[in-house]
Amino acid sequence: MTAAVEEKAGDQRPRRGIGITSLEILCVLLVLAVVFQDSLASILDIPKLRTASTVFVAVCVQALPFLVLGVVISGAIAAFVPASVLRKALPRKEVLAVPVAGVAGVALPGCECASVPVSRRLIQQGVPSSVALAFLLAAPAVNPIVLVATAVAFPGKPELVLARFIGSLATAIVMGWLWARFGKLEWIAARALERLPEHTGGSRWKTFVEAIRHDLVESGGFLVIGGVTAAALNVYAKPEWLDAIGGNIALGVIVMAFLAVILAICSEADAFVAASLSMLPLLPRLVFLVVGPVVDVKLIALQVGTFGKSFAFRFAPITFVVAIACAVVTGLLVFGGVG
Amino acid sequence: MRRETQNILLVLLGGALLKISLNGTYLRYVKPAQLPWLIAAGVIMVVVAFVSIGRDIIAARRPLETDEHGPGHGHHHGSYSTWLLLLPVLAVFLIAPPALGEDSVNRADNRTPPPTSSEEFGFPALPAGDVIDQSMRDFVERAAWDKSGSLNNRPVRLTGFVVHKDADTYLARLTIGCCAADAYPVKVKLDGPTVETLPSDSWVQATVTYQPGTSTKESRYTPTVTVKDLKPTAEPEDPYEY
Repeated sequence: MTAAVEEKAGDQRPRRGIGITSLEILCVLLVLAVVFQDSLASILDIPKLRTASTVFVAVCVQALPFLVLGVVISGAIAAFVPASVLRKALPRKEVLAVPVAGVAGVALPGCECASVPVSRRLIQQGVPSSVALAFLLAAPAVNPIVLVATAVAFPGKPELVLARFIGSLATAIVMGWLWARFGKLEWIAARALERLPEHTGGSRWKTFVEAIRHDLVESGGFLVIGGVTAAALNVYAKPEWLDAIGGNIALGVIVMAFLAVILAICSEADAFVAASLSMLPLLPRLVFLVVGPVVDVKLIALQVGTFGKSFAFRFAPITFVVAIACAVVTGLLVFGGVG
Repeated sequence: MRRETQNILLVLLGGALLKISLNGTYLRYVKPAQLPWLIAAGVIMVVVAFVSIGRDIIAARRPLETDEHGPGHGHHHGSYSTWLLLLPVLAVFLIAPPALGEDSVNRADNRTPPPTSSEEFGFPALPAGDVIDQSMRDFVERAAWDKSGSLNNRPVRLTGFVVHKDADTYLARLTIGCCAADAYPVKVKLDGPTVETLPSDSWVQATVTYQPGTSTKESRYTPTVTVKDLKPTAEPEDPYEY
């Protein structure tokens, strides 16, 4: 918020004289796009590119409402929830606050795009980063909408819903604790940590709108990167890989974990995809469902944008490993085998 | 990037969401239940952008306020990523990508799930009538698992688009769980005199009968059907099944 105000102030003075600003560039780009619309369309007439462009728009259209939900909640926290309230609501000890935050993820009915801005806001409001990160990982997987979707996709297999809930929650809590023990705050980009000034008068609504605007503009672009990546992989990933797995469970677990990362399917829909891969036993599919909401290309792009590169490139691979481990252990316990 | 430019991008992006929601093309990308979310998201983006534009204009009219923040404006972290918001805007307004078709069906070839449950799956009796309408999904499911043979000798009308693969011609439909990124195909193999001349991706209404015993593990539960009648039809408003 303060950043945006400063941006404006910084923008307004040195103008005058030299003409080209982003506004003119935007206009030129738009005019060019309209003029060359036909040639653009004809490039995309290749079936493969056409499929990719549809998938790209689909990922964006699917994810944007959730991103908006996330930034609205995040903006509301910034404007209406004083930091002191959050601090009081959570247990004093970080070790206890991490699981509480994980379970609190039940209350955010959205997919992974919504939880990134919210958890960043929690950090800015003084919540310990380990606690906010546990929330970030838990929210997209343990909320009621996702669990109901999983139950619908796997009729007659309530044990899978249970396993998904436990596995995802365990991943979030383990990562929270790991971060509390080994994480370094300096890995997170400085801009994500800036505390907001406590409210001293001023309109809360102004803060609310400005926070939404700022978050949307900042993270929207990274969502688009995620969408492009997902579309490219969707076109180039070969379903034959799955046939090669055969009966090899270990291979199945690894392939499904990577598939979850590259397909970047929204956590509300991944259960349907997992259900469609019925040639595999339940365990690899559970791995797919636990890994997908916590690490995927779209989410990594959003994390890079929100928390910075040095955070995302440490956090995502470790989460990946922890998620596989949690899913496998939970699966073996709940299914009493590979399912 | 300047604040004004960001606001304009937000208006365009919100406008793109509203455009596909209102003209119905959103069904090419996501399932119908997403509509209220899309409209809400589009409205929020547009409103937030206009509120900031309005406030900026009012602020600009006032005499230069004293700077509350002091020096240190070097905060202009160049978020070039914001420019990428143009991509979905241009895609929606200029290209409007079509619903997925033949290319996706062949790409996701045989990811077709063996329909839901197995063995003792009971199917309700088919409705009476000369020709009955069925969704591709129901048809393929029944062909795979209904042991009572209720489809045998029953003409069924299916709606889908034409897919050619190698020498074979299929009638296909894509099923989505959430958005087009998770689509998987449901298809039947057409057996009829002129089916190979049908143009790819054209929508047809086919009256067919199931050839008993063709939906097997070997055929990946893709049933073969005898074509009785074929007529072209317009692409349905909602091109996917759920």
